[in-house]
Amino acid sequence: MNQTDATRAALIQLVRDEGSRVVATLIRMTGDVQLAEDAVQDAVIRALQVWPVSGLPDSPRAWLTVVARRRALDIVRREASRDRREVEAVRLTQLFDAEPSDADVPDDLLRLIFTCCHPALALDTQIALSLRSLCGLSTAEVARALLVSEPTMLKRLTRAKQKISRAGIPFRIPAAPELPDRVVGVAACVYLMFNEGYAATSGDDPLRRDLLDEAIRLGRLLHSLMPDDAPLTGLLALMLLHDSRRDARVGADGELVLLADQDRSRWSRSQIREGVELLGEGLARTPGRADPYVVQAAIAACHALAGSYDLTSWTAIVSWYDVLLTVQDTPVVRLNRAVALAARDGPLAGLAAVDEIGGLDGYALWHATRAVLLDRLGEPVAAAAAREAALALDSNGAVRRQIVAGSPA
Amino acid sequence: MPIYAAIIYAADLDWSAPEQSAVMQDYKEFGDAAAAVIRGGAALYPAGTATTVRVTGGKGGDVVASDGPYAETKEVLTGFYLLEAADLDAAIALAAAIPGAWTGAVEVRPVLPMM
Repeated sequence: MNQTDATRAALIQLVRDEGSRVVATLIRMTGDVQLAEDAVQDAVIRALQVWPVSGLPDSPRAWLTVVARRRALDIVRREASRDRREVEAVRLTQLFDAEPSDADVPDDLLRLIFTCCHPALALDTQIALSLRSLCGLSTAEVARALLVSEPTMLKRLTRAKQKISRAGIPFRIPAAPELPDRVVGVAACVYLMFNEGYAATSGDDPLRRDLLDEAIRLGRLLHSLMPDDAPLTGLLALMLLHDSRRDARVGADGELVLLADQDRSRWSRSQIREGVELLGEGLARTPGRADPYVVQAAIAACHALAGSYDLTSWTAIVSWYDVLLTVQDTPVVRLNRAVALAARDGPLAGLAAVDEIGGLDGYALWHATRAVLLDRLGEPVAAAAAREAALALDSNGAVRRQIVAGSPA
Repeated sequence: MPIYAAIIYAADLDWSAPEQSAVMQDYKEFGDAAAAVIRGGAALYPAGTATTVRVTGGKGGDVVASDGPYAETKEVLTGFYLLEAADLDAAIALAAAIPGAWTGAVEVRPVLPMM
C-alpha cells in the first residue's frame, strides 16, 4: 500500500467511525432513521472529496454533523414543497439552531443501539440494522456479511426503518426498570452476530471475520458506554477469549482445527489478557447471582489459560458448567457440559450424559458428539449412524468435512 | 399523539354471558385505568356469529358470504381498542395491561394518521 492509499484507507476508516456517531445524533434531531442516514451518507461523500484537498478539519465529527444537518434540512425542505411538510421543516430548523455538542454523542449512540436492538424487531433484522447503522457497513456489505442478496437486504432494511418510523419505535435510552431486560436483548443481538461469524451456519468458510470484528467493536462500544453493566462486561470478555483463538482455529487448508490440535502459540496473548481482566471485573460485579456471559467467559478463560489440551482443568470447567446450568439450563449447555465430562471422566460417562439430554435430535453437534464418543468406545456401526445424522443436519462446508474426519469442532 | 390499534386475539368469549363476569371485571378495570388514552374500540360477539364476505372476480362480482370468522383458529378476534400512546414502548405497556394479553395475544398496530 503506498502513502496515498494508506492515507485514503485511514480517512475512510475515520469517516466511517465518526459517521455512525453523527448518524446517531442526526436521528435524535430528526427522529427519522432514513433521513439521518441519507444526510450523513451525503456528508461522508463530501468529506471524502474535500478533506484530501483542504486537509482534515479540527473536529471531523463537528464538520460531518454540520454538513449532514444542512443536508437533512435541504431534503426536508425539498419534500416539504411536495408534501406540504413545512411544519416539519420549521421544527427541524429550530432543532438545528442548537450547536452540536460532543457531550450528547455517547447518549445518542446508546439511543441508536436500543432502537436497532428493539424487541419489536426480529433478531436477524436487529443484526442487519446494527451492522448498517451502528457499524456503518453499506447495504451491500451487510448483505455479504449475512449471506443474502443485496436486493433482499435492501428490502429488509427498508422495511425495518419503515417499522421504526411508522410504529414509533422510540429513539431513547430505556427507563431504569426496563433497562436490564433491554440490555440483555442488546447483548443477545451482538452475541448472535459474533456467533454467526465464529461458527458460520452456511457458506464454505467456517469463519466470517468481518462479523467477528464488528461484533467485538460493538461489544467494546457497549462496554465503554455502560462500564458497570456485568452482562456487557462478560460479553466482551467472552468474545475476546473466543476470538483469541481465531488464527489457530482454521488450518492452512481452510479447515477447522480442533481445540486439542490447535497451535496455542498462535493464540492472541493480548486478547486473552484483556479478556481475563474483564472476566475478573465481571465476576466481582456478580457476587450474588451468576451472569451467563460472565460464566461462559470463565469457561473460555479455563481453555485460554491452559498450557496444553492435556493440562486443561476439566474439573474446573465442569464446575463452571454446573454454575451456568443454574441460570441457563438449556440442552446445548448440557451438551457442552457432557463434552467436558467426557474429557474428565472418559467417553462412557460422557456418552451417558449426552444420551440423557432430550430435545437435540435436530442439532448436528449432538449427533457428531455421539459419533466421536461411540468411536472411542469401539462402536463403529453406531458411530457411523450418528455421523450420518449429523451430516444430514449441518450446512457449513468446513463443519461437514470436520464431521466426516471424525470430530466436531 | 400517535394512535395504535390494540387487536385482541384470545379464547372466544361471550361478553354478554353472566359466567364471564370475572373477565368483564378485568376489562372494566383496564377501561378505568386507561380511560385517558382510550380513543375508541369495540367488544365483538363470539366468532360463531361471524360471517365472512368475499366478492369473487373483483368489484361487482358475485357476493359469497360464508359462515364463520376469516381464520379458524384456537384464538379468535374478540375485540380491539384504539389507544393513544407516545411511542411503541408506551403502546406495548398499555397492551400488556389488556386482559386478553394474559391468556391470548394482543397485536399492536400503528394507525395511519388522518390527512
